[in-house]
Amino acid sequence: MMADLILTRGLKSEPSVRLSAYLERGGYQALRTALTQWTPEKVIDEVKTASLRGRGGAGFPAGLKWSFVPRTTDKPKYLCVNADEGEPGTFKDRFLMTHDPHLLIEGAVIAAYAVGIHAGYIYIRGEYEAVARRLDEAIAEAYAHGVLGKNILGRGFDFDLWVHRGAGAYICGEETAMLESLEGKRGVPRLKPPFPASVGLFGCPTVINNVETLACVPMIIRKGAAWFLENGRPKDGGTRLFSLSGAVQKPGVYELPAGTKLREIIFVHAGGLKPGAALKAVIPGGLSAPVLRADEIDVPMDVDALAAAGSMLGSSAVIVIDAATPMLSVLEKVAKFYEHESCGQCTPCRIGTSWIRRVVKRMIEHRGKAADLDLVLRLATNIKGRTLCPFGDAAALPILSIVRKFRTELEASLHSAGEKSFDA
Amino acid sequence: MPKVAIDGLCVDAAAGSTILNAAEQAGISIPHFCFHPAFSPEGSCRLCLVEVEGSPKLELACATVVREGMKVVTASAQVREARRGVLEFLLAEHPLDCPICDKAGECRLQDYYHAYGLTEGVFDETKERREKKVRIGEKLLLDRERCVLCTRCVRFLTDVTKTGELAVVQRGVRSEVATYDGERVRTPYAGNLVDLCPTGAITDTEFRFKTRPWFLERRESVCPLCGRGCNIFVDSHPGVPRVPGSANVYRIRPRFNADVNGHWICDYGRYEYLRALRPATRSRLMWRGESHGVEMSWDKATALVTAKLRAVLETKGPERVAVVLTSFLTNEEFYLIRRIFEISQGVRRVFFADPQPGTADAFLLTAERAPNRKGAELLGFEPRPVVLGKLEESTDFIFIFGTFLADLYSSQEVSRIFDKVQTKVLVATNPEALAFRADFVLPAVPTAGKDGSFVNADGRIQKFSAAVRPSGDARPEWAILLDLARALRPDEEFFGGFRGVPDIFERMTAEYPVFGALR
Repeated sequence: MMADLILTRGLKSEPSVRLSAYLERGGYQALRTALTQWTPEKVIDEVKTASLRGRGGAGFPAGLKWSFVPRTTDKPKYLCVNADEGEPGTFKDRFLMTHDPHLLIEGAVIAAYAVGIHAGYIYIRGEYEAVARRLDEAIAEAYAHGVLGKNILGRGFDFDLWVHRGAGAYICGEETAMLESLEGKRGVPRLKPPFPASVGLFGCPTVINNVETLACVPMIIRKGAAWFLENGRPKDGGTRLFSLSGAVQKPGVYELPAGTKLREIIFVHAGGLKPGAALKAVIPGGLSAPVLRADEIDVPMDVDALAAAGSMLGSSAVIVIDAATPMLSVLEKVAKFYEHESCGQCTPCRIGTSWIRRVVKRMIEHRGKAADLDLVLRLATNIKGRTLCPFGDAAALPILSIVRKFRTELEASLHSAGEKSFDA
Repeated sequence: MPKVAIDGLCVDAAAGSTILNAAEQAGISIPHFCFHPAFSPEGSCRLCLVEVEGSPKLELACATVVREGMKVVTASAQVREARRGVLEFLLAEHPLDCPICDKAGECRLQDYYHAYGLTEGVFDETKERREKKVRIGEKLLLDRERCVLCTRCVRFLTDVTKTGELAVVQRGVRSEVATYDGERVRTPYAGNLVDLCPTGAITDTEFRFKTRPWFLERRESVCPLCGRGCNIFVDSHPGVPRVPGSANVYRIRPRFNADVNGHWICDYGRYEYLRALRPATRSRLMWRGESHGVEMSWDKATALVTAKLRAVLETKGPERVAVVLTSFLTNEEFYLIRRIFEISQGVRRVFFADPQPGTADAFLLTAERAPNRKGAELLGFEPRPVVLGKLEESTDFIFIFGTFLADLYSSQEVSRIFDKVQTKVLVATNPEALAFRADFVLPAVPTAGKDGSFVNADGRIQKFSAAVRPSGDARPEWAILLDLARALRPDEEFFGGFRGVPDIFERMTAEYPVFGALR
């Protein structure tokens, strides 16, 4: 089945990012429909029926998340668009914002309408400076066109949207750390509960959605939940943007239905591996996802199937590792990244990631010991499930999977490294 | 009242209480660093994780609110393993300089590691080196290697004093507590950071390297330096034979009282009272009379003072006697003074010499800088300030409690007036300021050295017991007064029955029922 394109359908023929091009592609029609014909409740129901799940990593149903926000409250409510996209291997949100910024804006306004929100922030990672500028331009166009600001489309609904650039911390992609950062504080996760839906930005009810999640919303309104579901899986509707990187012929962003087999993504869409390269391993959902061996890639890429396979869909970032890449070096990259990005707030993550990294560094530097792999496993186990935020699992799970699944190779490299060190 | 089972014990927890509260209620302690009852849960140390039936992960005891029927296990293999994991991590980055650490002996990391850790030492990497002596406040030193990043200090300054001098900077394993560039913790409540710190990361220069905590005796008392009456611990060393000066008070710490001072005390109380409790010289009975150099005893002093007083009363009358009081006296002492001087002898000339009022700081410290003005008022005293000139006229005998006259008048003025008074009796804790003009110096113990009660600025009665041993000849004023009363009127049975402060309190309450009605 060749699915409809939901997110990138207009981009092949109409490369312009201007509002005029977006309007020609039918842009802001969904917003008009929602504001003129639909009640907010209907919007939420349709998104629920469409089984739109969060594209940021956790895969939480978006409609359900919206319905947690109290309808009536004496506080302002906020929408935060998570455009931090820090998960290594992930570059789909950048693609969307760069090539179709209005799609995100339209989705954001519809979400705001559904939940009764009048102010929103796009929290974009600091490195995306050019993208942030593009968003600012698009937002200015949207204000001028009457789809942002006061009395949107003459329907009496107000919504303001700002772009806020992050300062380079991975943890600020975690939603509560993002809220802290937006409030001008040090970006560290908050203890939950309370959840942002009740106590979020500035202590007010807040909806936080990933860029891609919101970008799906306009087409759900235009074409309906049933159509959206057809292009995905029953419990995981719509297409997904897969970021392909590593040893493939054609790295890039691919829009494919949720549930497409990982093997098909790598060998059909991304053109297979580079000449002469053999597949060794795949990280299917961004660096936080447990690694899959070459023999484990006949898995459908949806939230539940990957969870059943012991990994996760995460941010749908597929990192392809070929046989020439030593797993010890993959392990070191993973360990280094999480040590560097741990916010340091809670004990197991702060010290555990640093300890693991030092052990792995020693192994790389040919000073490894026989007990090191078991030590790494034990340390990662002492992080897993015991930290304040999901970062701990994000660090521990890939490390555990690499050591467990490639233990023979790692032991061999430890051994040979030992010999080298002896020779030197 | 949700019923919960904690380690099989059924607990009727208060609605809204956490697993940690409910467990404490059941007598089960759950280890924790970052949680402190004064702050909302932080959840960052991860030491209090416990097993909750039906929950896939371990839950935070400090932050999880109990639900009806909840089943909690605080000592399962899984929980013990999690605790061991956290403690192993903390110790991996800890300098292990316990032998020279002031906190050793009362350190949560030590205690918890001993109780729940005891892991095999496998950390074979180089520890992060951090600064070990950062001056973060006038009397505060921060050792960043000992810090477990519980952020209690940060949160105290953010949530309680709202001065926000400290923050966590850097990230990951390089995270550290710091002041802003070049700044220091300036809040007059900074000393609380030392008590709050669960390890030896923040130490007090007044205490640092002076003694070892395990030598100290912890006794309860009440701080007398303002009208708040903060509840305190007085930590003193009982003394080592043949080591002069080892018997001493080493620190003052807050003692929790939700209605008075919460968990805190101010630095003024902490350090000024400490200084007051560490006199430079030993208290000595003194008489500047004919028999200079004669060994004094309390019996002899009481007899001499009584004789002089009786002579004035009998030959010249009670109007020739004046008494200068201080609001540092306890209710029981005020009561005795009232009985002895006013009721029994008809002495009407009663004045007060108290410290000059300061500025209230809108938290604990009151403008009133004496502990028991309210008590004096309740006993019918009118705490009118002493006017030296009024003493000059027609005074032959003056009884002075405390040395605050010296704060109000210059030594020349005091000398000028006192020269005209035949007998001056000074009863004071640190009498130096007035001793030069007194005929008798009767050394008294400080508040921490006696039993008694104060009525604080909010009208709360607070009883306390002696927390330190008297130094030298010093005795509590109530005992001095009882002796005097018995010597003055040996026939009167009234004073004969008092064996101690509780008896006086009981008699006082019968006469002034207000004391029984106070909270």
